[in-house]
Parts: sequence; structure tokens; C-alpha cells
Amino acid sequence: MLNAIKDAVRKSSIHVCIVNCGGCNGCDVECVALLSPRYDLEQYGIYVHNNPREADVLLLTGAVTEQWVDNLKRIYDKAPEPKIAVAVGNCPQSGDVFNQEGGHVHAPASDFIPVAAAIPGCPPRPSEILEAILAVGPQAIADRGREQE
Amino acid sequence: MIVPIGPIHPALKEPIRLKLQTEGEKVVKAEIEYGYVHRGIEKIIEGKTWQKGIYLSERVCGICSYEHTQTFAETIEQISDVDVPLRAQFLRVITNELDRIQSHLLGNSTFFKSMDHETLFMRVLELREYAMDSIELLTGNRVNMGWNVVGGVRMDADERHFKPILENLEKIEEGFERTRALFAEGPALALRCKGIGYMSKKEAIKGRAVGPIGRASGVKEDYRNGHYTYDDHFDFKVIRRTEGDNYARTLTRFDEIPESISLVRQAIENIPDGEIRTPVDLKSGYAMRKNEAPRGEVTYMIETNGSLIKNISIRTPSIANMDSCAKYMIRDVPTVADAVATYATSDPCVACAERVAITNEAGKTSIKKWDEVR
Ligand code: SF4
Repeated sequence: MLNAIKDAVRKSSIHVCIVNCGGCNGCDVECVALLSPRYDLEQYGIYVHNNPREADVLLLTGAVTEQWVDNLKRIYDKAPEPKIAVAVGNCPQSGDVFNQEGGHVHAPASDFIPVAAAIPGCPPRPSEILEAILAVGPQAIADRGREQE
Repeated sequence: MIVPIGPIHPALKEPIRLKLQTEGEKVVKAEIEYGYVHRGIEKIIEGKTWQKGIYLSERVCGICSYEHTQTFAETIEQISDVDVPLRAQFLRVITNELDRIQSHLLGNSTFFKSMDHETLFMRVLELREYAMDSIELLTGNRVNMGWNVVGGVRMDADERHFKPILENLEKIEEGFERTRALFAEGPALALRCKGIGYMSKKEAIKGRAVGPIGRASGVKEDYRNGHYTYDDHFDFKVIRRTEGDNYARTLTRFDEIPESISLVRQAIENIPDGEIRTPVDLKSGYAMRKNEAPRGEVTYMIETNGSLIKNISIRTPSIANMDSCAKYMIRDVPTVADAVATYATSDPCVACAERVAITNEAGKTSIKKWDEVR
């Protein structure tokens, strides 16, 4: 019963924080485009405020650069439970083009924090990002909540 | 007291750390800490073919990704002594200006967001989507277009593309006037940004501010003047203002949008028939080219040994703009909120800026100055 109430509440109020850990910011602008009236993120009960301390979903973009090796875990720990991380773009999954000789990246991001879902693309379309958050968000948050109890 | 902001903060869209030194409410000084998105692109490009290089150069920065590929391609073309077909040059102008429109709208929307003016933020983003649609229609991608190749462009375009683009431009124009007036004449916003974040022309030159940020302070450089396509075939007005405050910077960006729209129209009207790509015989050598990206001048210096790139050095506008922002604009700003808004008007693009950062063994990051890379 309690869980059902919790799920219902969480489902219609997902707070999102975009964490750019070193990409080309192409993915970030696509996340910003989600806020535009065309996609209107807020009608789905998703709210982007970029504050890790209030976030349910961390949208990870970028290929984890040197500076983020420690900071990524710190930011993740700051977010209150239950929380999930969704990797946007190729960068956090494989390092994309930056993961070659000469590059300073430490992809994949899942080496540092648990990643619940990944959206491939360089960058993925805003509609794909939206779809992914809506598809995995509520269930993954609920599951994570059960784990914590 | 020092107020640190970032790297992840509601008002910032990219990771950076602002250290604001405050006296009471007032912000007296600011310092910017870079290095969160340093990926080492220049090092990766070394020893690769141009096909790989241009792909990587596009990912220097996602917002103004187009201008990077164009400058890269033009540098290699200059080394190899080839002339790009005129039709390809016109197609490059179309994409370049569409990219400028969307980037300026995005820059302004970030500023409105940092001022907490949701209405304008939404309106500007709504207009931006039309520019994004046009870009997607023409090139197939929204952000990283992959449109340029050495020797021309990747695909041809025809009426089926041009007609919807012109329609989209009309839609942008329709909403644009009112949006601009809302900002320029609305009392609440103007009060909060007139006279804030002032930078004089002298300081702008000293800080090497470029692009709309420099032009809002009276600097007159626009590197589209001097580019062969623009010089020979296009008419446009360089927008300049003299106030040098947040208001002027935002308005400069707004006023450049109709100019870009007219440039796209001119290009579509006068586009000549012909080839879109010439075969290129790669030569070895060194060349440097400057182009006007949405945020100012982008410089590419490339040395090749025939087929491979031996050395590449990229200079992007953001580093100079952000530096002059910290040094000159954020100085005696009334509140912390205004300091963050001032930072947003300098249209920072962190991903661009962070490829010349050198991290030495001690972990100290230093930024190369313009003189050093020249
Ligand atoms: S996945 Fe592609 S678009 Fe996204 S941040 Fe990485 S390089 Fe940029």
C-alpha cells in the first residue's frame, strides 16, 4: 500500500539534473531543447532544475574527463535516494570519438556510478531522450526505492 | 567572502566553477576555474586523416559545431590550393547562418533563464526549434551536422529543401519582433540589465573579446568580412553597439538574427547551378584560417604531410570572452544573481574553450594565451 502511494507520487514528479561530465555539449543542448514548448517536458511531470540535491534522475552526458573521475561519484552521492542515472549519447557509454589514443577520458561512466539506462546517439534526438526518461524513469526509481528499504 | 558556483548549478548549462568574491551583497571580483570538459581533441586529431579530423573537429563544441567543420575544411583546401565550387560555398552560407540563428537564440534563452524570465525563455526556445527544423531538413542532423567535406559539401539541396526553409524563416520572423520588443522595451528586464556588467571598448580589446560580446562594446571585427564568399556575393550589416552592458550584448545577438535571415534568403535566391564537391589532391603544408562562428572568431592552424594531419591548433572565441567576462564584466555587480546573469550574457561555451587547457604534472591547469598559439 505504502509502496503504491510512493510509486504514484514519484511517477508524476520526476526531477532531473543534467550532469555534463565532459562531452561536446551537443547532448546538453538537446536536453535544453526538451524544455522548449515544442516538447514541453513539464507536461509529463518532469522538471529540470539542475540541482543534484533534489534530483531523482541524473542525465549523464559526456565522456568522464579527468576532473570528473572523483566528482561524478560525489555528485551522485549528493542526490537523495531513490535515484537513477541515465546516460545520454554515446559519450558516457563508450567515450565516443574521444576514447582513443591521446584523449583524456575515462569512459564508460558505469565504471563510476550505476547507470540504469542508456540512450545511444551522437546526439540522440530530444524525443528519444524524453521517451527514455518516461519509459525507464518511474519503474527504475521504484525498484531502486525497494532496494533501499 | 567567496561564493563558489558550480560546476553543476541551476543557472549553468555546462560545468564550470565561478568563484565570486563578495562584499555584502555586492560581487567585487570573479574568477573562473576551467578544466571540467578537457578531452584532448587536438592530440587525438594528430596523425589522422582529414576524414577523421573533421569528424572530431565537429565535436569540439556542439552548439557551434558547424563553423568548426567549415574552418577545418577551408584550411585543408587552402593547403591543397583548391577552389570550392560556388554552389557549395552558397550551401555553406545557408547552414552557417541557420546555425548562427539557433546559437544566438539559445544564448539569449540561457540569459533569460538566468534572469528567471520564463516567458521569454520559452518564446525564444520556441523560435529556435524552427531553425533546428531547417537544419535537420537540409543536413539530416540537428546538432552535429556532418555537412562539410574538404572540397565542398556532402549533399545537394533543391527546391524541396529551400521552400520549407523559407517558410520556417518566416515563422521565426513572425515571433521575433514581439519577442525582441518584450525584452528591449519591457521595463522589468531592462532595469535589471542596463548598466550591469559593463565592459568598455578598451577593455574588450584588451581582453580580446570577440563576436557579439566584443561588438556590443564597440569592437568592429566581424570575420565574415574578409571571407571570400561573403565578400563577393553577399550584403550584410555588422551590428555594433556601444553600451557594453548585459542589455547591449543580448540585443546585439537579437539584432544579428534578421541579418542572418536575410543572408539565408540571399543565398537561396541567388544560388548558382553546378557541382557541390570537387576532388581534392591533398598537398602538404601549413595554413591558418579565421572564420566568424556565432560567438566570434574561430581559428584553425593545420600542418599536414600530404594525407595525414601533423599538427593542429584550434582557437575558439569562448576562452577570450569568458576571460574578459571574469576580468571586466563581473566587477562591482550589485548581486550574485546579476553576476550569474552577466556570465550568461557572455554566451559561454565551455566545451569550446577547453581544448587549449594544458594540465601539467602538478595538476595545475594553464590556459594558452593568444600570443602563444599565434
Ligand atoms: S555523444 Fe556526441 S553529441 Fe553527445 S556529448 Fe558526446 S560527442 Fe557530443
